[in-house]
Amino acid sequence: MSLIQFDQVTKRYPGSDEVLKKISFSIEAGEFVFVTGHSGAGKSTLLKLIAATELSTSGTVLIANQNASQIKVSAIPFLRRRFGLIFQDHKLLYDRNCFENVILPLHINGIFGQEAAKRVRAALDKVGLLHKEKAMPITLSGGEQQRLAIARAVVSRPSILIADEPTGNLDSNYAAEIMAIFDAFNQVGVTVIMATHDALGLSAQQSRVLRLNQGRLSESPSSTQGHAS
Amino acid sequence: MRNWLNHQLQASILTLSRMRDNLLSTFMIGLVIGVAMCLPSLFYLGVDSLNKFTDHMQSETEISLFLKQDTNKSTIAEIDQLLAKDPAIKQYHFVSKDFAWQQLQARSEGDGEVGNIIGQLDKNPLPDAFFIQAGSTEPTALEQLKNKLSDIPGVEQAILNSEWAKRLSTLLDLGKKIILFTAMLLAVVLLVIIGNTVRMQILTQKEEIEVSYLIGATKNFIRTPFLYAGVFYGLFGAMIAILLMGGIIQTFNLTIHELSELYSSDFSLKLFNGKLYLTVIISAVLIGWIGSYVAVNRAISSIAQDQHNS
Repeated sequence: MSLIQFDQVTKRYPGSDEVLKKISFSIEAGEFVFVTGHSGAGKSTLLKLIAATELSTSGTVLIANQNASQIKVSAIPFLRRRFGLIFQDHKLLYDRNCFENVILPLHINGIFGQEAAKRVRAALDKVGLLHKEKAMPITLSGGEQQRLAIARAVVSRPSILIADEPTGNLDSNYAAEIMAIFDAFNQVGVTVIMATHDALGLSAQQSRVLRLNQGRLSESPSSTQGHAS
Repeated sequence: MRNWLNHQLQASILTLSRMRDNLLSTFMIGLVIGVAMCLPSLFYLGVDSLNKFTDHMQSETEISLFLKQDTNKSTIAEIDQLLAKDPAIKQYHFVSKDFAWQQLQARSEGDGEVGNIIGQLDKNPLPDAFFIQAGSTEPTALEQLKNKLSDIPGVEQAILNSEWAKRLSTLLDLGKKIILFTAMLLAVVLLVIIGNTVRMQILTQKEEIEVSYLIGATKNFIRTPFLYAGVFYGLFGAMIAILLMGGIIQTFNLTIHELSELYSSDFSLKLFNGKLYLTVIISAVLIGWIGSYVAVNRAISSIAQDQHNS
């Protein structure tokens, strides 16, 4: 059974055309999937449907055998906890230091005290920010802020990472750094789904690209690596 | 269970530290709540004390029977016999005008001014009087007895001592109702004030709520710190209300003490009224909780709405 399965999914916002038109695809556990396309092609919407921050207008979205389009509102938070979300604008909280930013998902998951602190430091270490745990996010560079956002996304050890243009605002050096971090997580079995508008910066190990064009999907398995789908 | 406790602890610590960061505004809100709770409570205390006083008075069954100035000894004897035969009367005693006059003079000797005035009177102005203890404490029975007594020839006036206490008590009942309505109106005002304050806080914390929501926080998780804020505001306000009340009662009692010494009474307001203080605390906390609950629920659904439309 696939980890994520879209079947004829259409999304329409009130007062607009269909952003996604009858999209079908599936993603297996452990894949590294890129979602590309021009801005406005529906990349963000696709990610939001996966993360259940949006609900589809029609069609079925299955996440780990749970139907995200028919899920009870009260169950949505628990579905979201399966994901680590990384946003283009980081969405860090600037009124607290790095450590406190990263611990938030753990508190949401009901993890406190020593155990939480240990996990926060491990996550900060993975993104190379352990020495900055007391720093305020505003004092960090753009690349460091994005790494902090990644630390927050992975601290609760989600099996799926969803990143919306995580390198969009970064210069190429920082971008490569970020990509390396995502690669490292993918190597240890985390499913990574990443939206990006420039397909040029894709990592060499990419296995799969979902290309969106005006709400329609054209899949191009551009790499030599096989994958189950 | 432990997780739940941890979350509650975390949320209350977070809330308290935010309040510490905004100490002045927290104090102001506490003061508003305190003053608003203090006013009806003080009135209630006053009315309640007077009420106890009048309750005590009302249970007295004494009727004062004043005779006409020119009543002669035989009429007095006749009245005395009438009283002795009446089954509604438990006991009575006669105070002659001469005796009352002597007593008044003796009592006012120490007091220069009153003594002077009494000295200037050339005639005894006091009437002969009977003081009667009725057998029944029923207000209607007392009333009947009083009317019967005032019809006896030679009687100038029969006064039921509890009468004014009864009137005062009715007035106090009215006062209590006014206090109740005032308190209810003030509770509505407090609900709005606390709700608004929590809403402002939610606005400054909007980013955090949005992010928490995105990464899987339940509504309960987001709501809890703000509910604590409401409860703490209430608690804080109640504490200020009690401090204010204590101070006011204390100064009031100092003055009342001088006054009541003149009347040789020991009337004073009780400084510690556990029931009232408990009521103040519980209602303040409840108002805080409800106010913030309403505010936070509305804010969360509007933020959730925003996200779905973005």
